[in-house]
Amino acid sequence: MEGPALAPSLKNIAPQQEYLLQGSILDAHTDALLHRLRGLCDNAESSFETFNDYEAVYMLRNSSTTQQSQYVLFRVRHALDDPDAPDHIRYLGQAEMGDRSRPTLVRACLDVACSSNVREFLTEMGFRMDHDYVAKGIFFHKGRMKVLVYKIYRLIQPGSTDQKNLEQLGSSHLVELSVVAPLGQEQIGEDMKTFAEQLKPLVMLEKFDHRRLQ
Amino acid sequence: MAAPSVNVCVEAAIENPIQEIRYDGQEIHVTPLSMSENLSKLAHKINFFKDESEEKGKPTSEGERETDEEKVLAPFQPSLWPWDSVRNKLKSALTEISVLYDVLNIVKQKHYMVTDPVSQDAPELKAPLQMVAKKKSLLVVCQILNAGADWLKRVQAEMGSNTPDNFLWELLQLRKHWRLKKVHNTILGELSYKSAGSRFWQGGTFEVLKTSDLAAEGEATNKKSSLDVSIPSELEGVAYIQVEVKSVPDLMDLTSATLKMPASLGAVSPDAYWQQKLETAHNVLFCKELFAQLAREAVQVKGTTPHMVVGNQILTNVFPGIQLSIVLCHYTGKEKKVNLSPPKLDHNHVLEHSLHQLLRKVHGNNLNTSPPHPANAMLGMSKRRRLAGPRAHSRQDLLQMAHSESILEQILRQTKHAVLRLRSMHVIDQLATSLQDPLICAHWSCLNNSLESSVRVSITSYCYETNRTPLILIIGIDTIRVVVREGRTCVLSFEENELRDFLQWQICQHHAQSVQSLAKLHGWQVLSVIVSSGHGDIEPYGTTSTVMLASPKGNIILAFHSSPVSGSKLSVKKIDTAVESNISPAVTASKWASLAGEFKEVNLNRLEGRNLVGKVDMLMARLTVMS
Repeated sequence: MEGPALAPSLKNIAPQQEYLLQGSILDAHTDALLHRLRGLCDNAESSFETFNDYEAVYMLRNSSTTQQSQYVLFRVRHALDDPDAPDHIRYLGQAEMGDRSRPTLVRACLDVACSSNVREFLTEMGFRMDHDYVAKGIFFHKGRMKVLVYKIYRLIQPGSTDQKNLEQLGSSHLVELSVVAPLGQEQIGEDMKTFAEQLKPLVMLEKFDHRRLQ
Repeated sequence: MAAPSVNVCVEAAIENPIQEIRYDGQEIHVTPLSMSENLSKLAHKINFFKDESEEKGKPTSEGERETDEEKVLAPFQPSLWPWDSVRNKLKSALTEISVLYDVLNIVKQKHYMVTDPVSQDAPELKAPLQMVAKKKSLLVVCQILNAGADWLKRVQAEMGSNTPDNFLWELLQLRKHWRLKKVHNTILGELSYKSAGSRFWQGGTFEVLKTSDLAAEGEATNKKSSLDVSIPSELEGVAYIQVEVKSVPDLMDLTSATLKMPASLGAVSPDAYWQQKLETAHNVLFCKELFAQLAREAVQVKGTTPHMVVGNQILTNVFPGIQLSIVLCHYTGKEKKVNLSPPKLDHNHVLEHSLHQLLRKVHGNNLNTSPPHPANAMLGMSKRRRLAGPRAHSRQDLLQMAHSESILEQILRQTKHAVLRLRSMHVIDQLATSLQDPLICAHWSCLNNSLESSVRVSITSYCYETNRTPLILIIGIDTIRVVVREGRTCVLSFEENELRDFLQWQICQHHAQSVQSLAKLHGWQVLSVIVSSGHGDIEPYGTTSTVMLASPKGNIILAFHSSPVSGSKLSVKKIDTAVESNISPAVTASKWASLAGEFKEVNLNRLEGRNLVGKVDMLMARLTVMS
């Protein structure tokens, strides 16, 4: 009975956009960056907020069309260090680089908290796991800007998040500056740009087109 | 003699404008316009409506049709030719060049005209005038050099003296406590609580000044510190939030609280140390934010009783007859010297402190949201809120989650508790001092919070302390929960009479209890105990407790009545053994036959003994012997 009542409210949800800047820093210099971020960000007086997430990416190929390249990716994330926290399923849209004047990468972003059996559900629906990894690092926030400094670990045996099963990728940390906000707030990009300027000699935060990396 | 005609060719650039350069260096060009596109583009530049309004005057449908035709014809009219202006300019340029060419030819041939250089006389120079001018400019130079030298000397002197009061050292100290930034040549500091989570609109920017600079400009002299701060005018002075709980008759003049500044809180002297100045300004800003927040809430909150905001005062009802007034006192030192008679400043420091705490808590919550787990979860949600989706919380749950109590509501609840606690304390103390007979002892718990406190009251009689009536009063926000001896609880409202009546009733019960325990000691038999008896006259409040006792031999009956209003009564009846023969078979023992009958009242005041229990003890001992 709830169905028809919920439908109009779903339409009112403003589409969320993720504004993203990325960069990387060598492991040796991470401390300097953390120190700087601690001074710049809001939760300065408390100790570092760590996270340890396992992310599995599920893919659904569109079998009805002849084009095999059409597919949908769903990212399911789960906090390993906080078992009470709900799983998160995330859909990321096509990244828009925009022209030179646009300071950040913008992409559609749908983020939904869900129960822990979402993996089985997706598999039942026909999704299959594309790849998975563990992201371990530290989280900062300033206003609504979120700064993540983390390292990506490859799973030697897929699916098992045991400490022995992890293998670190590369010798640098990934730095991400992101804001999830409703559509059409261009001011955020400028704020992020100025924040990124403050980290300049340590890490260069830029917009990367992931399609070109492949 | 004109120059040969020149052909000027006008054509579009061969290169097309670049639209975009890709990362691999490939350029994307704008495709050139075709002839027809070009034509329509040019046609767009012509203002057809202008002609229409001038020539035809009325834009009828016929006229419109005509303009449609004109649109096609227009580009061919010479006056509207788009390159017309260019052509005109080129034409005039050509004419000028031709003239120049002719003149040069004439000069060159030297047949008709010869050009000679013209010698110009040097202007006459006046020596004294020059002297004055030079003198003047030298003087200016001299001044500039002197000023520079002075400044250098001052800087040298400052650098030389490594005393702790030099400017840079103080600036370092300032930097340790406050946020500073440099804008052009000035150093600006930040007083606002924004970095601590405040969302107040008013900023607080102060400027750091060097006293030696000021001294050079002749503004201020003999300062102790070499650093000074200039605080924005709206943050000058001293401010504090005055919280007062008062009874209603005081409230009649609403404007009374506009300025009640205690003598100790005067204005800051202008040559105070910068740290003190900044701290006071910081406090002013905080008080302003606190008051603004409270005033906003007072207007928004739809309580059972409306809150009033009058000027710098917020009035709200705590209990009937008791009002809470929160006043923002801001004393800038510029006000007229109003008669500052501090008549009765019952300023509540505890509540003021609570208010400060509450706002700081709001600030803290603004800043420290629970961290998202996993890291890509939404920022700024509480942990419970995150779980709302997966755990399928109902609308009701969500609404409850969204409800947050405003500062005003919280302070109101704290005030209610404070008032109620004071009232209860007052009632208990009053009873304890006015009543001599049972001793009332109150132990206030030192472990309490701002919304709940407890007190243990024990009622005893002097010399008979073994018999004690304990009570625990748990004072809440607007009710008092009482736990009596058997673990029974009852809830009293905030009215102080209720507590007084209840305590008096407990005193009666204590008496009845004491008499009962005396009976046990003397070997008397308790015939009946009624805690709340319905007998007798109706009392204004409370109920009578009665105890009936029989002496060990059963021939003397004592009846004790204790009522909170009419006091205690003691009656005695002696049974003649002669009457015994008349008893009905339903009566199993002789003592039951004597429940009714002629009782004689004992005058308790005339009895010997220190208190009621002592008197009854005495009487019982005597009667035991007599029987």
